[in-house]
Amino acid sequence: MNERSGMTESGRLSSTAVPGRDLLGELRSTLEKANELLRVVEASQQGAAVREAGTAEERIAELERRLSTAESDVKELASRLVDSEHQGGRLMNLYVATYQLHATLDPAEVQATIAEIAINLLGAEQFALLLRRDDVPGEEDPGYEIALIEGMYDEVENPYSGDSYAGGDPMVDQTLRDGVLRLGPTSESQALAAVPLRVQNEIVGALVLLKLLDHKPILRAEDRDLLDLLSAHAASAMFAARLFATKDRKLRTLESLVKLARGE
Amino acid sequence: MQPRKVLVVDDSKLMHKMYEVMLRQYPLVYASDGRQALDRLQEHPDIDLVLLDINMPNMNGLEFLAELRSDAAHANLQVIIISTEGREEDTARGIEAGATAYIKKPFHSEEILEVISRLEKKGAA
Repeated sequence: MNERSGMTESGRLSSTAVPGRDLLGELRSTLEKANELLRVVEASQQGAAVREAGTAEERIAELERRLSTAESDVKELASRLVDSEHQGGRLMNLYVATYQLHATLDPAEVQATIAEIAINLLGAEQFALLLRRDDVPGEEDPGYEIALIEGMYDEVENPYSGDSYAGGDPMVDQTLRDGVLRLGPTSESQALAAVPLRVQNEIVGALVLLKLLDHKPILRAEDRDLLDLLSAHAASAMFAARLFATKDRKLRTLESLVKLARGE
Repeated sequence: MQPRKVLVVDDSKLMHKMYEVMLRQYPLVYASDGRQALDRLQEHPDIDLVLLDINMPNMNGLEFLAELRSDAAHANLQVIIISTEGREEDTARGIEAGATAYIKKPFHSEEILEVISRLEKKGAA
C-alpha cells in the first residue's frame, strides 16, 4: 500500500467516515423523531381510545336514561289504557242498561230488564223490586207491591215475603221516604243497597239489593253509576210502559165500543 | 285466526245487546236457549265460537254442550261459558263438559276480548 494510496485510502476512509457519522447522526435523529412521532401517535391513539371509551359510556348512560324514560312512559300508558278500558266498559254497561230499559213498552219486559241488570251487571243474587201501588180512592197510603223478588225462595219470614212490602227494613223505609240512595249493610238493615226509583222527583219505589253472588264480594265503584242509572231510569221506563199498557187497554175498549155502536 | 261468526247463547236480551256493542268487530248470531242454539249451528255452519250462558229455559248451557260435543262435526268448536254460576265446581263442570274457557258474570269486557284474542292466537299458531 503506497502512501498515496494509503493516504488516498486513508483520505477516502476519512472522507467517507465523516459523512457516515453524519448519516448515523441523521439516522439517530430520524430514529428519535420517529420514536417521538410514535410516542405522539401512541399517546394520540390512547387519548382517542379514552375519549371513545368516555363517549361510549356516556352514550350507554344516555341510552339507559332514555330506556328508563320509555319504560316509565309504557307503564304510564298501560295504566291509562287499563283505566280507559275500564271506563269504556262502565260506559258500555250504562249505555246497554239505558238502551234496554227504554227499548220496550211492555211492563213485564221492563221488569225483566231491571232483573237482568241486577243479576248480570251488578252481580246480585237476592233482590226485591218495590213499586208503589196505584192510588186507591179513600185510601191514604196505598203501600208498595213487591213487583219482583229474586233468589229468596227458601227464605223464612222477612219484610219481602208475600205480595206487599209493609215496611220493616229501616234503611229501605228511610229511602222510600226521602229518596236517598243508601248502601249497607248497617246495624239495622241487612240490605246492601236501597235504590230509590223516581219519576220526576217523586219516589215510586225502590230496588233493594239483599245479597251478591259469592264471587262478587262487594259492590264496586262502577256499580254506583249503575245504581244511579237505575234510580233515574228504571221507574220512568216502568211508568211509561204501564201508562202505555193502560192507555192501550182503554183504546181497545173504546174501539170495541165504537164497533159495537156501529153494529160491526 | 279471527272467528268467522260468533254464536251468542243467552236468554237475556240485555246480554244480547251487551255482546252486540262489545263484539261489534265480529258477525254475531243469537239464540235464547240450547235448542235454538243447535238450530243456529245448522243454519250457520261457519260459526266457530260460542259464548254460552248456563241458566236458560228449555235446554240449559251444559245440556247444549253435551249435545254439541257428542256430534263429531262440532268437535273443534270453541265454547266460552259466561255464567253467574261462579263456584269452583261450576267452572270445573263446564270445562269437563268441553268448554274452552269459563268467565263469571258480571265481567269486564276486557276479560272476554282477552280470551277471544288468546283463542285467535292459539288458532293461528
